[in-house]
Amino acid sequence: MTTSTTAPAPAASRNRSTGALSAFVGKHFGVISISVVLIVLFAFFSVQTENFLSADNLVNVARQVAPTVIVAMAMTFVITTGQIDLSVGSVVGLSAAALGLWAATGNPVLALLLTVALGLVIGLVNGALAAYGLLQSFIVTLAALTAVRGIALLVTGGYSEPIDSTLIRPLAHGKLLGLYTPTWIAIAFVLLAWYVFSQTKFGRYVTAVGSNAESLRRSGVDIRRIQMAVLGLAGGAAAVAGILTAARLSSGSPNSGTMFELEVITAVVLGGTSLMGGRGSVIGSAIGAVTLGVISNGLVQLRVDVYWVPIVQGLILVVAILLNTKLFSRIARTRK
Amino acid sequence: MPTTATERPSHAQPRVEMADIRKRYGVLDVLRGVNLRVAPGEVIGLVGDNGAGKSTLMKMLAGAVTPDSGKILVDGVELTGAGPREARAHGIEMVYQDLALCNDLDVAANLFLGREIHHRWTRRLDHKRMHAEAAQDLSTLHIRISDTYQEVGNLSGGQRQAVAIARAVTFDPKVLVLDEPTAALAAKEVEMVLQLIRDVSARGVSVVLITHRLQDLFEVCDRFVVLYEGVLHRELQPSETDLSELVTAMMGK
Ligand SMILES: Nc1ncnc2c1ncn2[C@@H]1O[C@H](COP(=O)(O)OP(=O)(O)OP(=O)(O)O)[C@@H](O)[C@H]1O
Ligand SMILES: [Mg+2]
Repeated sequence: MTTSTTAPAPAASRNRSTGALSAFVGKHFGVISISVVLIVLFAFFSVQTENFLSADNLVNVARQVAPTVIVAMAMTFVITTGQIDLSVGSVVGLSAAALGLWAATGNPVLALLLTVALGLVIGLVNGALAAYGLLQSFIVTLAALTAVRGIALLVTGGYSEPIDSTLIRPLAHGKLLGLYTPTWIAIAFVLLAWYVFSQTKFGRYVTAVGSNAESLRRSGVDIRRIQMAVLGLAGGAAAVAGILTAARLSSGSPNSGTMFELEVITAVVLGGTSLMGGRGSVIGSAIGAVTLGVISNGLVQLRVDVYWVPIVQGLILVVAILLNTKLFSRIARTRK
Repeated sequence: MPTTATERPSHAQPRVEMADIRKRYGVLDVLRGVNLRVAPGEVIGLVGDNGAGKSTLMKMLAGAVTPDSGKILVDGVELTGAGPREARAHGIEMVYQDLALCNDLDVAANLFLGREIHHRWTRRLDHKRMHAEAAQDLSTLHIRISDTYQEVGNLSGGQRQAVAIARAVTFDPKVLVLDEPTAALAAKEVEMVLQLIRDVSARGVSVVLITHRLQDLFEVCDRFVVLYEGVLHRELQPSETDLSELVTAMMGK
């Protein structure tokens, strides 16, 4: 547009339609493979159990997976930048405990706001240490994993704080159009995350940081702000998950969310997001989280020993990743 | 080491002035007080041995590396050292030797990286417009990339280089720095780049060309600047120089 020569370039239309198809599959093969896995599992449990396909059960699954879906949204941003957040489970615990303590003072709205703010602050501290302190996010959030859980236990003395607020209870038990509130909140998170991730500058920079941070820096973008912001988001999302967990149990337990970080990370990886950064899918992560929920629910319906749940989830993770990297990536001529 | 100053008296105000630029990496004294002036529309050939500090000097102009000391002025305004954003705002664009593209983003996303077009209220990226403009820009530059939705990681080395060049040229730079822009290009594409340099310099854009293809330099440059061991060793006029003299100068003689 700024050069003096303006003759049109020769149109190179080398099999455009197959190119477009393989580009589409290439971009979405993570989502495609986890969708196949979910459909197969869904069909299997529907046939093998009496109850799995009942409306009541599906509504329940949709409620159970909500906290994982919510945090998986933020975790997708974190992992796509090439970072990781191991502290989200502990933040769930501290948020639940803090909500219990603060709700007891009689102002549930303030308690809710403070709890979300607390999660955001913890996330931003993680982010500041990682981005500006130049520490690896793995190290920072590993430290936070232990320390934040410790704080939760310390402030509660290890006990759960009962919550009897009539305002907080409906956050878990309220129903709208047949679905529980947490499900609606999770849907809102997915839509918002999809929009930000794929339709805004911020989302594009998240991908670019993970793909080639130096390239983005040379383009004049403050990469440290991006790195810090995504960890802040993860802290905030973990606080929301903590609130929903506490509301469901009507008590804030400092032990909530133990091992939750692994479930979230598994969901994100299942959805095709690369741990190396630069490639992520929020829709894939949501489907990944639902898949994990379907596995645990379906196995319970099958009446197999509950200890099978983590074993099967681990196997499914391997299968999905194999599908992802070996099968679909071959269809889409990608180099990763 | 003395430098033969061949200032052009016709340009009172240089487009770019770099004064006493110094940079150390650990014990390595990469740049030991370099002075460089570039006039509007002038094409400079910056040459020197591997490791002479050419890329480092130009990254400083583009804001990607901060000098330890020294001043950089663009049209008489001193850069504060605020980084690539500031340099871009002053109209400096650079094609980096390592290209610096995001392999996971598509062609249009790379072209618009850092200056995406989006709607003011919804914050939504205008994908359609960016792809349309990217396709237009590429065809104007005679770059044959059929599909701006292609991921850059799937392009050939030469195509990637073309994308990097397009990114630097598209946004009306005042100063264009090309660090080995033709390393991966076929003969015809090299000729296109040289023509591009002539075109933009005719419009008043200053160009700094770094290349080891010395014969290319004689085709487009107004002046050669030879870096040797961290200082500006010599300046030469193409009309009064031949290839062997340039090579000798690069060896520090
Ligand atoms: N970030 C860095 N850290 C340490 N040393 C560096 C760094 N960047 C450059 N150097 C050193 O500075 C010197 C000059 O490097 P530079 O890339 O500017 O050379 P060059 O003239 O562009 O060489 P070439 O022709 O090979 O591209 C080299 O010795 C290099 O090792
Ligand atoms: Mg170099």
